[in-house]
Amino acid sequence: MNRTRVFAVSRKVLRSLRHDRRTAGFLVLMPLFMITIFGYTFGGDIKDVPVVVVNLDAAYGNSSASDAVLEELTAGGVLKIERLYIVNPEGPAPGEASESAVSDAVSEVESGDAWAAIVFWGNFTENVLQSVEDIGSAPTTGPGTITIYMDASNTNIAQAITGEVRLTVQEVIVSEYHVLPPIVVTEDRVYGEGAEFIDFFAPGVMGLAAMMVTFMLSIISFVHERTTGTLERLLTTPVTEGEIVAGYALALGLVALVQSVVILVTAVALFQVQIEGSPLLVLLLIFVLGVGTQGLGFLLSSNAKTEFQAVQFLPIILFPSILLAGVFWPLEAVPELLRPVSYFIPLTYAVEGCRSVMIRGWGVEDVWVELLVLACFALAMLLLSTYSLKKRR
Amino acid sequence: MADGEGSDERQAVATRGLRKEFGDLVAVAGLDLSVPRGTLYGMIGPNGSGKTTAIKMMVGRLRPTKGGARILEEDVPLAGASLARIGYMPQELAIYADLTVSENLQLFGSLYSMGRERFAKSGEALLSMVGLAERRDSLVSHLSGGMKHRASLACAMIHDPEVLFLDEPTVGVDPELRVGFWRNFSDLKSRGKTIIITTHYMDEAGRCDVVGMMRQGKLIAEGRPQDLMERTSTSSLEEAFLEYSRRDAA
Repeated sequence: MNRTRVFAVSRKVLRSLRHDRRTAGFLVLMPLFMITIFGYTFGGDIKDVPVVVVNLDAAYGNSSASDAVLEELTAGGVLKIERLYIVNPEGPAPGEASESAVSDAVSEVESGDAWAAIVFWGNFTENVLQSVEDIGSAPTTGPGTITIYMDASNTNIAQAITGEVRLTVQEVIVSEYHVLPPIVVTEDRVYGEGAEFIDFFAPGVMGLAAMMVTFMLSIISFVHERTTGTLERLLTTPVTEGEIVAGYALALGLVALVQSVVILVTAVALFQVQIEGSPLLVLLLIFVLGVGTQGLGFLLSSNAKTEFQAVQFLPIILFPSILLAGVFWPLEAVPELLRPVSYFIPLTYAVEGCRSVMIRGWGVEDVWVELLVLACFALAMLLLSTYSLKKRR
Repeated sequence: MADGEGSDERQAVATRGLRKEFGDLVAVAGLDLSVPRGTLYGMIGPNGSGKTTAIKMMVGRLRPTKGGARILEEDVPLAGASLARIGYMPQELAIYADLTVSENLQLFGSLYSMGRERFAKSGEALLSMVGLAERRDSLVSHLSGGMKHRASLACAMIHDPEVLFLDEPTVGVDPELRVGFWRNFSDLKSRGKTIIITTHYMDEAGRCDVVGMMRQGKLIAEGRPQDLMERTSTSSLEEAFLEYSRRDAA
């Protein structure tokens, strides 16, 4: 091996970089960007999960075990108690009150406003105190009971809620009474009965795959069209800028669809992933995401002179989407500082929409917000892409 | 032609004070052209003389800094169906290397809204003309340089345009095929088509009805090849060009 020739090749590579200042900047800024975003995102604990609580527990003397547990749950930070239903002694009979409160709370879970309705049943404190007294002898009463009516469509959140409730109950009771009597925490899944991590994960992967492929294909294709002169040539024919943009959108949207079908079929066949709602609605969400993302690629391609510069956009667009859009962990686990960014990422809406359809079994009437956001994103990208092409003339 | 031949309705291409600046660089410095219909017009000049920039402005892909152009009595940029009246073959390959020759032709045929029957007829004739009938199903990326140029030419002609702009169409084409190309250009001309062609080959320029010589963005001479040689008392277009360049520099 000739040292001079090796150095000549190395020098050539480094000189090329020197002439492309943007690439040189990218090489320095990209690792900085990555370590910052990874550092902030990984290790984020789940926080502020919205839940509602129904406390049917009648206080026993001056002591209320349920209040003590609730106080600690509020202070813990994992759960955010959005509403507290209590039995009003002045109101309807306790039986009616409890029935309607539990059903109201559960309907909040069904509508997606809360992840769980935590119900402390009547006589919770009395049963806990009696159980404490009974320790060492035969039980004279049933255990204190808590039921969590839960939206388990997101397995991470479901585990966090159950874990937090169990742990807090144990800590509070042990701290108050210095013993741990039997307490029953039961789960009742409103959504996601039998759901596993793969059920949570599959919609995320589907959205991510569609986004990655459509973005890569469109940005590389358009840079290629621009650098080889084919775009210029197309525009000397009767085809309009809008027609070129629409043609690409249709083709790459279909690519995203085909991919999603492959992922869906594989996930169902190999991992028995649930599809409670309409698979067509899932595909529609992915198609609209694909159309929008390819438009974004088109738009950014006008700022890249070479395929190499185009590739530099990939991590800038993809990393935040992978980390902040709720693909691998819920938005509740994204640090508060970065969480607003999540709502500006279209993938967030596609993943949330697909999950709601697949695990919760929701229809268009329930995921219209996600569909509308994605449609607005796609339309904006198509219009801006068309404008950027017209401006080139 | 520069001094205007015939009425405006007979002009296929007319430019008035066509100028293009890129920052401080003047690529085309006020070009006045008048090309009657049915003319085979050759633009010759060294690299950087403004031929390609002028053609790009004529087909509407570059906005002039000043001046304007008219094609077939319509202002450039043409829009909609009028674009189907012109054909353009750029200097770069500008066809899809990842498609076959036929697929490229189909694409351009569709963009010009050609019916299936018309496309089949025109496509066959063109493939034979450019000598690619047997390579129609080959990917363009698998063709030789000359073949790629021939495929590109076919794409520019698929819709049988009235005015054809060809930017160095014979680069990389072997001499035998070049002769064939020029025979076809003559046929097209005899059918009333107008062809604006740029070339580096002086012997090719001699086949044109009218030659425009460009230097540093200006049209320094224009006329029938024979007249240009007579006016400069030279025996070839190459010598005539050098003489006109000397006069212009002086």
